[in-house]
Amino acid sequence: MEASDERIGEVIEASTGGFSAQCYQLYKLPALGELVKCRYQDVDILAVTCNGSTSSLEPGRRPIARGYEEASEEDLYNNNPQLNQLLRSEFSTIVVGFKRGESFYHYLPPQPVRLHSFVYRCSPDEVISFGESMEFLMLLSGVQCEVPIEELIAACLRVMGAFHSPESDFNMRAGRKLAEIYSGDYQRLRAILARLK
Amino acid sequence: MALDLHKVANSLSAMAGELAYSRTEQAEKLGNALKLFNSPADICALKGKIASSKTSWLVAEINQGLNGKYLPLDTPEQFSVLATDGSQIDVDRHHGVRCCLINIGTVMLRYGRNPEAMLQNHPLLLSREEDLVLRPDEYAPGREMMVEGSILGMMRTVEEFNHLAELCAALPNGANALALVDGSLIMWSLLSKEYPDYIIDTILDQGVLKHMERIGQLNPERRVALASYISFTRSTDVVNALRVLTCPYEKADCDRYCAGAEAEARPCAMLDGIHDRDVFWQWLKCSERSEVFASRSKINCTRYGKQRVYFYYLKTSDEVARIEIPEWVAQDEELLKLSHSLVVRQCKKGQGYPVALSEAHEQAVVTGADRENFYSLMEEYLTGSKLLVSVSAKSLSKKTRWV
Repeated sequence: MEASDERIGEVIEASTGGFSAQCYQLYKLPALGELVKCRYQDVDILAVTCNGSTSSLEPGRRPIARGYEEASEEDLYNNNPQLNQLLRSEFSTIVVGFKRGESFYHYLPPQPVRLHSFVYRCSPDEVISFGESMEFLMLLSGVQCEVPIEELIAACLRVMGAFHSPESDFNMRAGRKLAEIYSGDYQRLRAILARLK
Repeated sequence: MALDLHKVANSLSAMAGELAYSRTEQAEKLGNALKLFNSPADICALKGKIASSKTSWLVAEINQGLNGKYLPLDTPEQFSVLATDGSQIDVDRHHGVRCCLINIGTVMLRYGRNPEAMLQNHPLLLSREEDLVLRPDEYAPGREMMVEGSILGMMRTVEEFNHLAELCAALPNGANALALVDGSLIMWSLLSKEYPDYIIDTILDQGVLKHMERIGQLNPERRVALASYISFTRSTDVVNALRVLTCPYEKADCDRYCAGAEAEARPCAMLDGIHDRDVFWQWLKCSERSEVFASRSKINCTRYGKQRVYFYYLKTSDEVARIEIPEWVAQDEELLKLSHSLVVRQCKKGQGYPVALSEAHEQAVVTGADRENFYSLMEEYLTGSKLLVSVSAKSLSKKTRWV
């Protein structure tokens, strides 16, 4: 973990295949498909953000509409400063690999992350290095999550693709891997490719 | 066996019928009250009559007028609202270990350029001998009192004021703030029993009043208005002033003139059953406050000194609330207006109830599940330390129900 890494949240639920985390700041969620990481022993566990949500901190207290007399949403939050303490933003992730030393592995790590592990954004270099292999797409394609899988895969490729130069073969390699995975499911392949624009 | 609602349904139906019948009668009495309230004639004479009255009920002391009403001023650009509330786990005599817990919720809400919120709770376990028994000394004789029940409740109130004073002390110089507590500033619980003087001294002089004074002393470097908010108040102080007004005798004296009279035959019976909130709900418009009155309760007049409690009524969107303030707020026009405008603003933000108080309650509340968890954790620690946990047979029988 580098000192410059941006810490965005903390794990509140964990399993081998994924984890959920609470953001330290309300609404400071990683983007859908963004690569995040957690340290466990000597391993950085890498995961793709597959859903984000904001809700009441206490399940029994439902948020109510408060802004009828407010000029803007910003005013609403400024005039109700307690909201930042009573609401929480959470995101869930799918583990797609890990990093040990300088090497990246595109399969599940031996252990899940610990509860209360800190969650960081991955640096551009880590995203580029992890994207050198497309094996993680195989993991992503097989999971069940809150958003449609074609949305998640396309979002992940868009976010990772943004870190690559236009001359890079990232998109071509991704396309080939998708064609391999969805060789028998043309409709889904088309849906993903249509969302890469 | 759960409550058999079929058996109680008939009684509930009869109760509803009686209430409906008495509503017409109440409307007539409220009309009487409003007529008197609207034109009280000579206020100076009424003040004199109240001062000399000997009544069996509490009568408001009138300061300036009876029926004035005031709109709130605009709130300052920058201000804070501080609030505390508390709850407790009382001593459970069915548990072998004597202990209890006070949980204080504290809230600081800062509005304006740099809005911020701080919501916290502060649990305090009372388990040592000196925590659980209040003892007299040679200067304050009396019998020992166990800290439980109503005494624990009063100690909780003292802690609420203590935390509120600490929150206020952390305000920067020049700050405008409202310090809010729930319920009355008058420690009515002290009147519920014959408490020895040292208990009154501990709870009142060394407790609530000391902390109220700490808050007052922060002025004028900071502008801190202390107030308490009483929702759905059942007070009748102002209606009782109208009773004195209607009393045909020169000097109202209930024991002397009406002691043996039938309730309905008393001259002031025309105002029976009317609360101050009924009058002010009709009289005030939303956000308006009434005149400021003083409570003439004995404890307030004899023990509160500079913290003597005054009050006004405030109409919110949903109810008439009684706002109690100490003398130093009542007599400082700026603080009085600050308390009014900030309470109104808090009620608007909190759907009719001050948002800071509602969050302080949420921080403080101890649910039934919390209580169970507290005892489980305690038992875990005790057995971990190889201490025998004894529980009464009655408590066990409630936990393990059988047929």
